[in-house]
Amino acid sequence: MTQTTLLLAPLITLLLGTAVGFVFAHPTLNARLPITRQVWLLALFPLIAFIILLLPVSALNDGQIFLWRVEWLPPFGLQLGLYYDSWSALFALIITFIGVLIVIYAGQYFNGQQDAWRFQVYTLLFMTSMLGLVMAGDVLTLFIFWEGTSITSYLLIAYKYKDPEARAGAFRSLFITGGGGIALLAGLLFVSYVSGSTQWTDILSSGDRLRSSEFYTVMLALVAFGAFAKSAQFPAHIWLPGAMSAPTPASAYLHSATMVKAGIYLMARLNPALGFTSQWFFLLTVVGMATMLCGAYLGLKQKDLKGLLAYSTIAQLGILMLLIGQEDEESYKALVIGIVAHALYKSALFMVAGIIDHETGTRDITRLGGLRRAMPVSFAIALLAGLSMAGLPPMFGFLAKETLLAATLHPNLQPVLAAVSVFTGALMLAQAGLFVIDTFLGQPRDPTVHAHEAPQPMLLSPAIPAALSLIIVLLPGPKEESAFLAAAAAAAFGSKVKVSLALFHGLNAPLLLSIIAITLGSVIWYFRWPLRAWQDRLGAAFTFNRLYAGVLVAMDKGGYVATRLQQGKLRTYLVIMILAAVSLVFFFMGWPTYSLAGLTWPGLDFPGEMALLRFFSLLVVTGSALATLVLNRDFYAILAMSAMGLGTAVWFVLEPAPDVALVQIVVDILSLVILVLTLAKLPRAQRLKAQRMRWAERPSRPLLLRDAIASIAIGCVVALITLTALTSRPRLSQVTPYYIANAKEETGAADIVGAIIVDFRAMDTLIEITVFSLAGLGVFTLLNYAARTHGDHAQGEKKVRRTFSTLGIGGRRASPFLRAPAYALLPVALVLGIVQMMFGHDQPGDGFTAGVVIGLAVALWYVVFGYTETRARLPWLRASVLIAVGVLLAIVNGIIVTLFTDHFLGNMDYGELVGLPLPGGFHISSSFLFEIAICLAVLGSATHMLNALGHPGEEEEGTA
Amino acid sequence: MTIEPQLILLPILIPLLGAGVALLLRKRRPYQAGWSLGSMLLSCGVSLWLFVDVWQTGRPLVWQGGGWLAPFGITLVADILALFFVVMTQLVMVTGMVYALGSGDKAVKYPAFLVLFLTLCTGLTGAFMTGDIFNMYVFAELLVISGTVLTAISDDKFGTEAAYKYFYMSLLASFLMLLGIGCLYVSYGTLNMADLSGRIQAQPDGLLLLPAIGFLLATFMIKSAVFPFHFWQPDFHAASPTAVSAMLSSVVVKLGVYGFLRMTFLLFAAQAVQMRGLLLVLGLVGILFGGLSAIGTHNVKRMLAYSTLAQIGFILVGIGWGTPLALTAALVFAFNHSLIKAAMLMLAGFVASRASVKSAAFDVVTGVGRPLPAAGLLFFIGSLALAGIPPTSGFVSKLLLFSSGIEAAAFWPLLILGLFSILTLVYTMRAFMRIWWQEPAAGISTKPAGDHLLAPILLIGLILVLGIWASPLVEAAQAVSAWVADPAAYVAAVLGN
Repeated sequence: MTQTTLLLAPLITLLLGTAVGFVFAHPTLNARLPITRQVWLLALFPLIAFIILLLPVSALNDGQIFLWRVEWLPPFGLQLGLYYDSWSALFALIITFIGVLIVIYAGQYFNGQQDAWRFQVYTLLFMTSMLGLVMAGDVLTLFIFWEGTSITSYLLIAYKYKDPEARAGAFRSLFITGGGGIALLAGLLFVSYVSGSTQWTDILSSGDRLRSSEFYTVMLALVAFGAFAKSAQFPAHIWLPGAMSAPTPASAYLHSATMVKAGIYLMARLNPALGFTSQWFFLLTVVGMATMLCGAYLGLKQKDLKGLLAYSTIAQLGILMLLIGQEDEESYKALVIGIVAHALYKSALFMVAGIIDHETGTRDITRLGGLRRAMPVSFAIALLAGLSMAGLPPMFGFLAKETLLAATLHPNLQPVLAAVSVFTGALMLAQAGLFVIDTFLGQPRDPTVHAHEAPQPMLLSPAIPAALSLIIVLLPGPKEESAFLAAAAAAAFGSKVKVSLALFHGLNAPLLLSIIAITLGSVIWYFRWPLRAWQDRLGAAFTFNRLYAGVLVAMDKGGYVATRLQQGKLRTYLVIMILAAVSLVFFFMGWPTYSLAGLTWPGLDFPGEMALLRFFSLLVVTGSALATLVLNRDFYAILAMSAMGLGTAVWFVLEPAPDVALVQIVVDILSLVILVLTLAKLPRAQRLKAQRMRWAERPSRPLLLRDAIASIAIGCVVALITLTALTSRPRLSQVTPYYIANAKEETGAADIVGAIIVDFRAMDTLIEITVFSLAGLGVFTLLNYAARTHGDHAQGEKKVRRTFSTLGIGGRRASPFLRAPAYALLPVALVLGIVQMMFGHDQPGDGFTAGVVIGLAVALWYVVFGYTETRARLPWLRASVLIAVGVLLAIVNGIIVTLFTDHFLGNMDYGELVGLPLPGGFHISSSFLFEIAICLAVLGSATHMLNALGHPGEEEEGTA
Repeated sequence: MTIEPQLILLPILIPLLGAGVALLLRKRRPYQAGWSLGSMLLSCGVSLWLFVDVWQTGRPLVWQGGGWLAPFGITLVADILALFFVVMTQLVMVTGMVYALGSGDKAVKYPAFLVLFLTLCTGLTGAFMTGDIFNMYVFAELLVISGTVLTAISDDKFGTEAAYKYFYMSLLASFLMLLGIGCLYVSYGTLNMADLSGRIQAQPDGLLLLPAIGFLLATFMIKSAVFPFHFWQPDFHAASPTAVSAMLSSVVVKLGVYGFLRMTFLLFAAQAVQMRGLLLVLGLVGILFGGLSAIGTHNVKRMLAYSTLAQIGFILVGIGWGTPLALTAALVFAFNHSLIKAAMLMLAGFVASRASVKSAAFDVVTGVGRPLPAAGLLFFIGSLALAGIPPTSGFVSKLLLFSSGIEAAAFWPLLILGLFSILTLVYTMRAFMRIWWQEPAAGISTKPAGDHLLAPILLIGLILVLGIWASPLVEAAQAVSAWVADPAAYVAAVLGN
């Protein structure tokens, strides 16, 4: 078996298992094979993985390391890979071994539940992640699987998702481990940045570089934070008791034997790289001690069996973390023995707790008691595991405690460490007593609790690890066992560790301490009820749960405050945005330091008689602009706005820019017409009401001030910029001279504005006519379709058929004096438009103005003849078709030119190509077709708006 | 002269032509739908092909409008940066159209909907591809008018109000952009960006150069919804049709990101340090503000809108660090965020379409997801992606961004970044738990039918694929970041010397 297969096979096996578990989601399959029997199939997968992982153990004991790598992000040299040494193997074997037991156990636990396949899928997925985590060959793979365990743990805790407590517990664990994950990622990236590689093989050998790096403290803090959060170290331990809302099989697996050890795994793994410094020692020792004490103390006061186990797990994790920090052979020996012992007895106890819960319906210590009669096998299992937890001989737990105590006789902090360890050991003994004696012995405390023994397969799972707790020490069989543990410890420690599994080492200091711990623990157990009562009275003035709750509340408060800013008023938004924009401009420009004296007063040295006209149009523009602000009738305000536009047009004429002026005039008129027609659509009463409200609701003084400041600020900036631009004339345009020089020759246009629009910057024009078309299409769709959905329409449309828009002005048929000129005007406009297009290249006026002029004539039709008659008389006036044909013509024209000249939107004279004799100044060129396209699109858009505004269905009731 | 440069017009012209024909097909819905989707797919395929082509040859394709050489005509520049954004846009917009076609909304069945959707695509694509700053303004207008109308015609009656706000704020952006362009034209007399770049370098004390930077920065900040220019973003989403909001919050906001890149590297390299500092600070503020607001809001779609603010913040931080690696990270982040956010908004819309009242408010959708496990799985994966958890593409983004921060030795920003990024997990998971796990309120039930899940399935699938097989995207982003760092090559390609 090659390295690759050896390493990949377990993971793939577990993934396959997940897939098989998922197959049972199928209802018929699930009904055919109940969960109790599914598990025998599913348990095969972890079992196979376990066997495969066991195969290379003797090679591992010789110090061999199995490696597999694959390129992931080659540009950054990032690889993913696996790494299997004794330290990994220790965890990998525990994971798969207990995994088998849990899968079988869960089958009984969920007996009769249809959707228990979810649990199996989550568990196997978790198992894959956990196995991947301990077998990861580099920081990235580790992190990927690390997050995988967080997520699957979240799903498992929230398995009973209908229970709010399960959701809260799951969220808390995700929040804390997820936060830890972010820190871990940063920390690991720091480590690989400094060591220059993400691979364990390189990182583990660059310890000196890492320790002497200036970032050492940062990376240590970040990595440790991640590991502490995962391994429930103080003060991040609070998520673990909350995670007890998970189904018991999950708690037994994740929250005692496997996932919570991930932090232990990682810190010990990094020991050769980051350890052996005083920071490392103090960090791990202090946090470990705090965790031990906190877990042991709080565990004693628990009523819930699982809560008790959770806190004792926390205490045990503290012990392990502390051991990693001690940096001597003895402590790493204690570490590996502690990990194995704890995994065995704690998973057994959890499963027993699950059995008790399952069979009696409660986990409350104060209600249980005397279960031994009804549940003798469970009692036997609990007794074995409990003895091991209490650290009593002849159990594996005793050995673990012995080695721990031996390790605490470390030269640093010796008395403190030993005292804390003894005290913790005593408390754990008392807790084991609570679990075993108070639950199984004595008399039942609550007569309503009925118990019966669990089915055999359910007992099998806890029995095996409980029995192993005894067997391993009683029959210290093949040398391989201790050699394997020694190799694991050595892999983490970095140099050789000797491990012996002999129970008795003679009368020495650890034994003495052990005796003290047992005595003290017995005393504590004896006084358990008064002590617990005292603990309850003492309460907890400050717990870290409150800190967690406080953080969440702070987030919610912050969120509340932040969303207040989004209060829905456009006015406020615009003010903030304008002020921010002005600040940005000043941020870059600096505070303006011009002196006005240095400026030449721009452009007001009008020549001759034009001066008066300019002055007049300036007055019109500013006057009517002000008028739009103060006029309170909407109609007058619109007229004033229109006057402003026309005044600007005059200014353009004088500039002289006749093209621009012409466009300005026709657009101004068109918008006036459309606005007035829109007003006519609105019921008069509603309009008046809106006006009254608009003027009655005067904004408060501070609001006015705010708005004024924003307006003045942006006004000043624009004025300042305009002034600067004007005074610096003549500006140096790079392109205008080129246009002037080449327009006639290259495009055949005498008018450079025309040449710019349809030739030099034809792309702008193409997109702009699309924009204009969409505006019309949008108005039409909004009023004719969406408004209907929004319920803006009067229901009885039939009743209001005879309105002005169906017939004409005022709902009456217009007089012939109006009808005749209107009738005649359309052909005139058409001719005018065609002429403008034909000579658009040389004269003011182009496709756009042509479209608008024709559109205005059509608008007159709508007013005079009404909607129905106009539509009937002008069947060719189909807005969408006009738009589509316009836009498509422009594009097709461009494509045809491309075929001849290789330039999309290039210039070509089709007439010249076929040799058509044409009147002077007129060319059937690509430009001409483009003008037609523009005209069609513009006309189409205008027609859409008129159609939408004139549609009789729009009419509100009561205006007829 | 070969025809090849004309081909870069295709990603713009195919949707535009498609829009024109779709308008003619307005009364034959099946044909219109098929045609529109076909146009989008074709255009997306062509963009991808162009991207690969330009990536491999290593030089951009330049279209000199109508044969008028830069700076006299309008130039479209298909450099790898522009095409990166174009591919991203069109990919997401294809799924957007798929969602729209499978949606039960009335709005998507209006004759104009698909037309406007296609022009939205045209506008955005053109804005990325143009090499002329005024032409960019014109394309942005097309984008704005399409987006406005698409929102206004929403089934939700508040759509019109939302569109109105969006339109006004975009109008402010247009106004500021026009001022910026005016300032540049007054100072340098040209509108071509390559030409501008060269002239600004030659004459760094242009009269109105500095105000122009301020105006353009503000413009792009509005486009990208950067705090405090973000106000259009959240209000818009609750009311807009799902297919539209999914586009606006994913790809359209990237126009600003693109703008920042062009500004810092091409146009105003001399002021890049100042701009980067500003973007970094605003990015961090955005991460905090967006995250908190997402926690504080009561509507899934709004939550995702606020989330965009935060996610754009991450991208800005990358641009702010400005190292090649940070830039790669920002580009990958931008690409992935588009996919993720579009998928999440579609899923939110899907849930809303199955709620008894069509709304994404938590009051309405709480518990609605219980009978919808498939959507739940997708939303869960999407949440993981948003929070940057493997094996999703979001993790790749976060990984690169963190790495670049470490490489740039930017501890404090990195610390703040890390601290605030937990907020993402909080709001997405809370939303997930409320919709899929919590008990529905009395009287709330799940409707048997609603929008189709195909589009989010495609996106989430892509997110997973890009999370596992990440190297193509990352290599592409790396090529882009290397190209961006060399503005002289861009200028030479456009001006042809």
